[in-house]
Amino acid sequence: SLPLLQAKRKRNSLNLLELSEAELEEQFVRGDGPGGQATNKTNNCVVLKHIPSGIVVKCHQTRSVEKNRKLAREILQEKVDLFYKGEDSDVFKEKKALEKQKQEKKRRAKENLERKKFFKEMQQLDKE
Amino acid sequence: GLVTAIDMVNYWQKVFKTNGIPEARESSQYIVSFVLGAKTFQSLDSKSLHTPLTALHQEQIQQLSHKRLQRMPVQYVLGEWDFQDLTLKMRPPVFIPRPETEDLVSLVVEEEFQKCENSALGFPVPVPRPVILEIGCGSGAIALSLLCKLPQPNMFTCTQKQFPGEGLDSELIGKMLGLRASCHSFTFLGSAKQLLLWGPIDVIVSNPPYIFHEDMASLDAEILRYEDLDALDGGDDGMRVIKTILALAPSLLKASGSVFLEVDPRHPNMVEHWLQVHPDLQLTLHATHKDFCGKPRFLHIQKQSS
Repeated sequence: SLPLLQAKRKRNSLNLLELSEAELEEQFVRGDGPGGQATNKTNNCVVLKHIPSGIVVKCHQTRSVEKNRKLAREILQEKVDLFYKGEDSDVFKEKKALEKQKQEKKRRAKENLERKKFFKEMQQLDKE
Repeated sequence: GLVTAIDMVNYWQKVFKTNGIPEARESSQYIVSFVLGAKTFQSLDSKSLHTPLTALHQEQIQQLSHKRLQRMPVQYVLGEWDFQDLTLKMRPPVFIPRPETEDLVSLVVEEEFQKCENSALGFPVPVPRPVILEIGCGSGAIALSLLCKLPQPNMFTCTQKQFPGEGLDSELIGKMLGLRASCHSFTFLGSAKQLLLWGPIDVIVSNPPYIFHEDMASLDAEILRYEDLDALDGGDDGMRVIKTILALAPSLLKASGSVFLEVDPRHPNMVEHWLQVHPDLQLTLHATHKDFCGKPRFLHIQKQSS
């Protein structure tokens, strides 16, 4: 079968556990039809299972089967990494970092708002 | 009342099911997603799913759904469909690319990149401007994908028919030419001599009509009513066009050049046998590859090295 996947990936500097094709079980919702030219079914959903951990991922993000297969493997790789490594997983760390960034942004925005409010009130007092 | 995307999907799914339309759920999901500017229902965010739809959106969904009620394939209803990284125009009766064919493209790309590694110099040398011929290009899915993925190929396509306003999207080709690739179109068979002016070909690729004639009548209404049946019917043994391509290949291919074909799962043995009884062609079946459903679907035929 085709090596369309490079499961060993360092995407966005994330260091994730490799997934080997032998550990994966893939299913497509295609029905029993003859396939190929004789069929025109549009369901391109990919269901991908990591056998050792039992984690299952369903991907119907795009209208291309090949892209859904690639995406399913990316998503599955992240979930499997998280499953085995927990808080040591780069996936976990990245999520935490993003959450922190978001909270920082919120805090700063709140401070700015309060500062503006304060100066506005000061201006009002000056006028009176 | 207020109607959300989810409501619309559920409503039209019921209508489709009641009217015996296959893939009732998928059809309604694709139509609603399309009207909301997304490719698939799963890719819509929670906000889009629960926001009430405008009257215009509801009307657009209705118009498209009425086409689907006539058994028009979803790809023609939307007027577009995706193939690997491309979004292509879809207009009846131009043949709709099947998902299996994405793997045919991957096979060709893999073969070309393997050539780099087998360089006699001991280090990878990219093949300068591979010459590729696609026979029977339809919507252009295969040719355009190869133009994107191969290093500046010289791409030739030929087709027996060109429907008005069809053929390879000229705007897309313009972008491809920006990649310093080239693309030329010819009509079938008469083109053989013209092609040879460019020199021998590295790869012939084709998804030829390969359905056995006796199986045509049992195809779904979506196919029979809307698609070009000549793009499907391969004659009594499904091999009429396959044989034509293989008979033509030796005069066009370089030594050790390849032919990649998508075929019916019954064809690998038939083709292998046919090549054996036509040794003058000097072609051998190098490999058979399965599609993502595990069916033998792709043939890699090679011209012997002289």
